Amino acid sequence: MKRSFKILAVSLIAAMSVTACSNNNTSTNAGNSSNSSNSGNSQNTTVDQADAGSAIDPFAKYDEPVVVSIGRSIDPNYKYEGDDTAEDNVYTRWLKDAYNIEVKHEWESSTSDYGQKVSLAIGSNDLPDAMLVDETQLRQMVKADQLADLTEVYEKYGTDRLKQIYESNEGLLEGVTFDGKLYALPETTLPSAPLTWIRKDWLDKLGLEEPKSLEDIEKIAKAFIDNKMGGDNTIGIVGTQQGGSLYSTFLSSSDHFLNFSPVFFAMDAYPGIWVEDENGNAQYGSTTEETKAAVSILRDWYAEGIIDKEIAIRKSSQEVISSGQTGIFFGPWWSAYNLTDSIKNDPEANWRPYAAPLNAAGEFNSNQATGSNFIVVKKSYEHPEAIIKMLNIHVNEKEESYKTAVGKEMTSQEIPLFLIMGHGDQLDYAVNTTQKVLTGEMSLEEVDKLNYGFTYELASHVKNVKLEPFDNYDIQYWDQETDKDFFTHIYAHLNGGSTFVNTKVNWTKSLATAQTKTMQSKWSNLKKLEDEVLLKIIMGTAPIEEFDSFVEKWKQQGGNEITEEVNALK
Amino acid sequence: MLNRSSYKHYFIMLLPGLVWLFFFNLLPMYGILMSFKDFNPGLGIFKSEWIGFANFEYMFQIDDSKRVFRNTIFIAVLKMIGNLIVPLVFALMLNEVKNRLFTRTVQTIVYLPHFLSWVIVAGIMLDIFSYNGPINQLLMNFGSEPMLFFANEKLFPWMVVLSDVWKEFGFAAIIFFAALTSINPEMYEAAAIDGASQFKRLLSITLPSVLPVAILLGTLSLGNILNAGFDQIFNLYNPAVYSTGDIIDTWVYRAGLLDMQYGLATAVGLLKSVVGLILISISYTLAYRFANYRIF
Repeated sequence: MKRSFKILAVSLIAAMSVTACSNNNTSTNAGNSSNSSNSGNSQNTTVDQADAGSAIDPFAKYDEPVVVSIGRSIDPNYKYEGDDTAEDNVYTRWLKDAYNIEVKHEWESSTSDYGQKVSLAIGSNDLPDAMLVDETQLRQMVKADQLADLTEVYEKYGTDRLKQIYESNEGLLEGVTFDGKLYALPETTLPSAPLTWIRKDWLDKLGLEEPKSLEDIEKIAKAFIDNKMGGDNTIGIVGTQQGGSLYSTFLSSSDHFLNFSPVFFAMDAYPGIWVEDENGNAQYGSTTEETKAAVSILRDWYAEGIIDKEIAIRKSSQEVISSGQTGIFFGPWWSAYNLTDSIKNDPEANWRPYAAPLNAAGEFNSNQATGSNFIVVKKSYEHPEAIIKMLNIHVNEKEESYKTAVGKEMTSQEIPLFLIMGHGDQLDYAVNTTQKVLTGEMSLEEVDKLNYGFTYELASHVKNVKLEPFDNYDIQYWDQETDKDFFTHIYAHLNGGSTFVNTKVNWTKSLATAQTKTMQSKWSNLKKLEDEVLLKIIMGTAPIEEFDSFVEKWKQQGGNEITEEVNALK
Repeated sequence: MLNRSSYKHYFIMLLPGLVWLFFFNLLPMYGILMSFKDFNPGLGIFKSEWIGFANFEYMFQIDDSKRVFRNTIFIAVLKMIGNLIVPLVFALMLNEVKNRLFTRTVQTIVYLPHFLSWVIVAGIMLDIFSYNGPINQLLMNFGSEPMLFFANEKLFPWMVVLSDVWKEFGFAAIIFFAALTSINPEMYEAAAIDGASQFKRLLSITLPSVLPVAILLGTLSLGNILNAGFDQIFNLYNPAVYSTGDIIDTWVYRAGLLDMQYGLATAVGLLKSVVGLILISISYTLAYRFANYRIF
């Protein structure tokens, strides 16, 4: 489940992609992002090859077909056009016709099992030519010497556009360079902090104020339950479901969707990531006193019935939101993409995000997401440049043939080796520009279409969707019917995105972002210890004192050793 | 006298099974080497560095390994007992019902769950026993507090056993029904003439007749003592019940497939196989001694 959330998160953020998108055929949460097809300028290849220096044309069509075998995650609910499949669709056929790059699927798996399938491929050393992996898997593959060195082909074949994108996202390529060799092509992730999403229509009905502190949220949740806002079985705050975790960790940042990270952050606790103690030494956030205090709050909330009694057992927390049984959950700005069912079931469901709870000093804390996707190439693959070419094609404007052959927007389900690629400030730009175009401060022509294609799409549709007053994002001031496909995108960006980009976030980054040597043998045991004890304390089956003995045990069973290693990383 | 050639067709029939055994069970055996190595996928199993018993030492250091073995055996033994007694009692009871239509219908209904996968059954179970589910509604009518059956350490193993027995007893009962139909009806008639009550007939004729089958099934299931049911537990458990619900297979799954600790996971798996081998040998001996049944 964790993985599927990540994919969901990723595909949602994908909507932010630098390239254009005009969602026209799929359900709201699939994240229809993709490449611009509406470009008038199709002859830009000449511009892009300027940097290639020598005679190499990064877009040249191969004389002979080049086969790229990949491992692919498939969203089982995605509907392809006609008889198309993930392996054989308009995009892959065009790729074959226009560039002679033929994509073959070595294996496919559902999005939820993908990570496991990749681990299996790594473990058995039975790798496709290229695939998407996470950071731990990347490091494992580097260590096992399974990957092709991409330094040279990236220099030679990477277009200006591709390089610009990576340069605008500082430190991204350094993170995948080991001993001076580039081993992967990373995704450009967007920072995202968990906000508190609340049914504002319920708040208004009960005459409650917007929340600021943990106490405010507690009060609101209690009021929702006492007044049976969601029926007899109203759940105060819904969160972690079966297989999910209480907070995002340095190894799997599921982007904070539906967990309890904000409660920890408001107590200045950063469980699941590596932080500095007051002396500047590394320590594991889950073992701190702050975390203990936050756990104790969650424990009280659980006992009082404020948070979901079925935390960690519930099959789908999303369902509770959609059915209108709850009025509060925690999630990042793009959570609005997942609210369409809720709004459909109850047109009055006016979900609004709040940058809350704040800590005692009034700051809004968050950890910085570390998880990401990387394209890696098998060491023995003969055409690593084909992978660079595919990414070039993905981020640049397309040739003329794209319009006739494909002609519509493609998603991560059609485009093989799909990465979110965008400038570092894409979300800010998208939100602010869309707002300005809406109010007339800026004309559509002024939007930087070349670098922020998706923003251009949002801006050109925003007037169909948003009603006056333009600065009020309550659900009644939206037109959901006229431009259904774009409603979700714009609703997410303006309702969710605007709150996030206008909030000053106090970021904390993990000192370690992948497993160290000792972690490889001992982390699984320590993680289990942590998950089990914290959940038991919250659910009241273990006393709060158990936390201290957990810290002791954690340190003894390898935690001390690992802390040393993380210290050495700094 | 049978000559050798008359056995030939048996060997041919055996062949597919042997081929399967060779490729899927014997050939992958070299993977055991991983438990003695610092496995590096790039180098492969044979070229990875030898690290002796380090994986085993670590395995015995962590509390977990003891716990998962204890949980596995506890759950598996309860399941063995439950899956023997419940179908037996059920078969005996249904055998006393004379209405054919009724027995057939009941039989069909109770063995249906066997054909559902645990993914589905677990979902149903979690719903039925959920906080606002029907079971808790019922309990609340009697004035008790609602509880979370699948998040309670003490209840969890029992819930696992109960749901497994519920799912499987109908199917397991089929063998007992077969044994029951093979009892010579003349014995019942003779007993009736001698004035034995229905209950007496059950105790003195029916039960002794099916007992060998029960013993046989029981001893054979000993080999499964370390298989507590991955599919089932994986779909039902959560971190709150790790202490009583985590079994060897789920642990190996998390360590090996999720955390890529191949060596450690293999070591635990190997230990499971060794213990399993010993138990199968015991069950073989017991089956021979008590049920006079030889597998080979």
